[in-house]
Order: sequence, then C-alpha cells, then structure tokens
Amino acid sequence: MKKKHSNKIKNGNTTVTVILYVLAGLIALITVYPMYYVVIQSISDSKYTLAGNLYFYPKEITFHAYKLVMGDSGLWRAYGNTILYVIIITLLTLLTSICLAYGLCYKNLIGKKYLTMYLLIPMYFSGGLIPGFLLILNLGLYDSPWAIILTSSFSIWYSILVRSYFRTIPDSLAEAAKMDGAGLIQILTKIYIPMCKPIFAVVAVYAIIGVWNSWFSASVYLPSKDWQPLQMYLRRILVENEAKPTVGMSIDAAKEMAMKALTYAQLKYSMIVVTTLPVLVVYPFFQKYFVKGMVLGSLKD
Amino acid sequence: MKHNHEQKRFKYKKTVVKESVQMYALMLPTLLLIFIFCYVPMYGIIISFQDYLPGRSFFGDDVVWVGLEWFEKFISGKYFARLMRNTLVLSGLNLIFGFTAPILFALLLDQITHTRFKKVVQTASYMPYFISAVVVAGMVISFVDPDGLITKVLSLVGFEEQDYYLNADAFPWIYTFTNVWKTFGFNSILYCSVISSIDPGLYEAARMDGANRWQQVWNITLPGLKSIIAIQLIMTIGGMLNANSELILLMYNSATYETADVIGTYVYRLGIEGGQYSYTTAAGLFMSAIGFALTYIANKVSNKLTGWGLW
Repeated sequence: MKKKHSNKIKNGNTTVTVILYVLAGLIALITVYPMYYVVIQSISDSKYTLAGNLYFYPKEITFHAYKLVMGDSGLWRAYGNTILYVIIITLLTLLTSICLAYGLCYKNLIGKKYLTMYLLIPMYFSGGLIPGFLLILNLGLYDSPWAIILTSSFSIWYSILVRSYFRTIPDSLAEAAKMDGAGLIQILTKIYIPMCKPIFAVVAVYAIIGVWNSWFSASVYLPSKDWQPLQMYLRRILVENEAKPTVGMSIDAAKEMAMKALTYAQLKYSMIVVTTLPVLVVYPFFQKYFVKGMVLGSLKD
Repeated sequence: MKHNHEQKRFKYKKTVVKESVQMYALMLPTLLLIFIFCYVPMYGIIISFQDYLPGRSFFGDDVVWVGLEWFEKFISGKYFARLMRNTLVLSGLNLIFGFTAPILFALLLDQITHTRFKKVVQTASYMPYFISAVVVAGMVISFVDPDGLITKVLSLVGFEEQDYYLNADAFPWIYTFTNVWKTFGFNSILYCSVISSIDPGLYEAARMDGANRWQQVWNITLPGLKSIIAIQLIMTIGGMLNANSELILLMYNSATYETADVIGTYVYRLGIEGGQYSYTTAAGLFMSAIGFALTYIANKVSNKLTGWGLW
C-alpha cells in the first residue's frame, strides 16, 4: 500500500530540503542535550566534572552522587507528598469536571445562561495573588496541605473540555435509557462515563503533569517543609541555596560530599535526574493525549 | 384534546424542574468550591482601597479607607518605571521570540516528510515542557556559572567568562531563551494540527501551477493559520503584563532586579514575603485592569483587520 503524504511538497529543491532536515535535527538536539549533559555529568567521576571537558559521554561511571541524594529522607518525604497530591488532585479534578460537564450538558437546565456566566467569569477575572492568599489565611488553611488540594481540585477549563466531549454522545442513547427507566445519574455512570474514557485520559494526563511540576501554590501556602511537594524541595536546593545545596539537606550530606569529592554541580544534577527521569521516561507514551487535549481545547468556543 | 396538551406540558415542565434540581445537586460541591476560591477573593480586591492589616475584616468598623492612596503610591513609586519597563521588555521579547518560534517550528515540521524522523523531532521538542520550571531554572543557573555549560559555549563566540547569573544585562536574553526553549515544542502542537487540516487539494493545485515550496507556504499554509494565529496573538497580548512571573521568580536574584523584576514578582516579594497586602493588591489590580484593556484593544484591532476575534 502506497503511503500518501498528502500535504507534502514533492518538487522541493534538494539542497534546501537537506538544510531543513539538518535544521530540524539540530533543534531536536538542542532540546535534548541539556538533559543529556546533566545525566552524563551526574554519573561521571568528579575529576572530569571539575576539569570541565565532559560533553559527549560519561567517563568512569560512578553513582556516588546518587547514593547521597537518595539517602536524604527529605527527598523521599517530598516525593511522597507529590505522589499523594497527584493522586488526590487528579481524582478530584476528574470528579469536579465530570459533574460540571454533565450539568452543562443537560439541555433544559433552568438558569443555564447564568450558570455559564458564573463559570466563565473566573476564567477572565480573578482576585489576584494577595486576596487569594488572605482567603487561605482566614480559612485557617495556611500551612495545611488542604490549601493546595482544594485550590487545585477544580478547573473550569477542563470542565469545558469534558463537556465538549460529552456533547458528542448522541441524545438517542440517553433517551433510550430513559425509556428503560434509568435516572440521570445512571445515565451518567452507565453511558457517558464509559464512553468518554479518552477525554478523561486527556484531563488526567494534564492534571498529573500539572501537579507534579507545580511549586508556586506551595511556596505561597506551605511555609513548613513537612507537606511541601517535590518541586519545593528542589527549589530549596537548586535555586535558593544554589551555592551550597547541602544546606537544604541533612548535615551528614556535607561530610559525605567532602569524602567522596563530589562537586555541588554533580549533586544537583543527580537530584534533577532522580526527580525528573520518571516524567521523561513516561511522557512519550502519552503524547497522543496532550495532542488531543490541545486540539479540543482550541475548539472550545 | 387541549386538556391533554396542557397536561403533557405540565408534566414535561415538572420533569425539567426535577431533573434540573438533580443536576444542580450534582454540581453543587464544585460550584461551591468555585465560589469560595474564585469569587470570594474577588471581594478581597476591596482591600486595595483600605489600609488592611491581617485580623481586620473587609467590612465593618475597624476598616480604614484610604481611597486611591495605594494606587498613587504605586504609580509614583520609584520602582514603577522599572517594573513597567521590565514587564514590557520581557513580554515584548516573549512576543517576538516566544510567539513566533512555535509557528516557525510547525512550518519547518511541515516540510519534513519522513514520518519517523518527524516524530522523533517532535517528541524531542516536547521534552523541555515536561521538565519542571524549578529544574529548568536550576539547570540554567548552574549552566551560567563561571564554568558552566552556557558560559563555555558563549566564550567560544567571544563573550567573556563571568557569572551570568548576577549579570542584569544578560538576564532578559537568558530568560527569553530559556522560556522559548521550554515552550516552543509544546506550543507548536496546536499549529501542527491546524496545518494538517488544510485541504491537500490546495497544495496539489499550487504545485500544478508551478508554485515552489516557499510560495506554497506563503499562499496556502500561512493563510490557513491566520485565524488561529490571530486568536493566540490576542491572548498573548492580553497576558503580556503577567510576563510569566513564576519562571522569573526562580531565575532572578537581587543582583538582577534591575532588569528582571516585573509586576508579578514585585507583588510576590512585597506581598507574600513582605506583608504589604493592600499596596500589592492595588498594584495587581492596576495591572489586571491594563491587561484587560490590552485584550480588549487587541481583540478590536484583530476584528477590524481579519474578522477574527475572541468575541
């Protein structure tokens, strides 16, 4: 079967084509190389990192930096916090989005116009950072994980996305179910939810990535370390104490580092690998979900 | 017959009411969450007209009204000019490079016909998006060290070796490049999908008329992207004043405030860290108002020029 490249320009100048291919390849390299650099630096013996001529492949592979990084209990606590937040927030986001989407789908809903306005206004206006902060303070949620969970538990944008998808379910199915005596909730659980799994996957993927990489809410609402997510831990070590990363870790870390003659850079790099590798390994498999999400999202209006 | 009709309509109305109530019951928890976390803070804006201290209520006897005092203080403050300048410069750079990069990349990808290679390049281009802002900032900060990767590369083209982290003049470029690197791949997805929906027949016809590669892009691909570019442009301009303060917060330091401090970071620093709630709320409100005005203007202009707009 001949593969049809429909949009493809067949008569392009070969030299130009080659240049374009090379350009694309270079761009791909630029996006990937920094992470690659970080990885090879983190697993090489420190004398090469200090000499500063390590660019293409690791030399004298050693995992000292990793042992040190993984020995810090603060890291695991933060890791656990993030996983907890990811699971809870993703589930809540899906739940709230489904509820809103289903309600918005009901054709004869009383006051639908006002409901739609109620949902659209916060997308364009917001109280701002400080009033939000003061609200959390006044609710007594300051320094509590619930501040993060509750503020991230809903998303009007995702709800609209789900609603757009719900709309593609033909009404005849719902009507047939009604004739068989099904209630509204049953129609939701027996028809809409099973048929809309693709959009749930899209929302889930977006939510998971969003929560995994989030740090700003935590920096505003969670001053103490106990419930801080992974990115806050990383921020302390990579950004705030960038001159002395061990300040953010346990005291023994500094001693160990001196013993193994690791450089601060290596320590930071191994930390980056440990915390980012899961995401990087997984994301190619979920490409189709966020591509779909982008496309659907742009059609929302 | 008439009796029957009315009975049916009444029954229908009853079901609609009953089912609506059920729907609202289902949506209630979410609607409540939205009320608490979206609408209540909107009330909080009122503190920008008061001398607010924690512990005081928003309304009531212990409120001290100061009118537009905070706004005046902000506009006439010694940092106002710097903040506005930085916000506009960084947003402007983002507009020039960050907005065009995904489009150019999508156009480039469209020229790649080898499917495997194209997929690999695309997948690679998304990678920076998935790396968290914290990690990216951490990497960049490390790379601009005197012996860091970026510094080394720059020294090859003649820049001196220094700690670029503390260099205020370098900041806009480092920040912009980092931001573009992080987002261009993911943002190109939208453009790629629009491009792929352009009628292939148009290209066929153009080819038969002897159009070369560039002519095809100029006459077919770009016009096909016109509406999505217009909408994205409006949204970008409207969001200009927000200038991605999160990434800046991670990458700036007191040595680079001169070029790095924007409204968003200023509000964070003086508000959250410094406790000047009323003042920073006023500043934030001022910026939101301007942002809204910008969106409105951009939308009007776009409507006039291309017939496309957000509303």
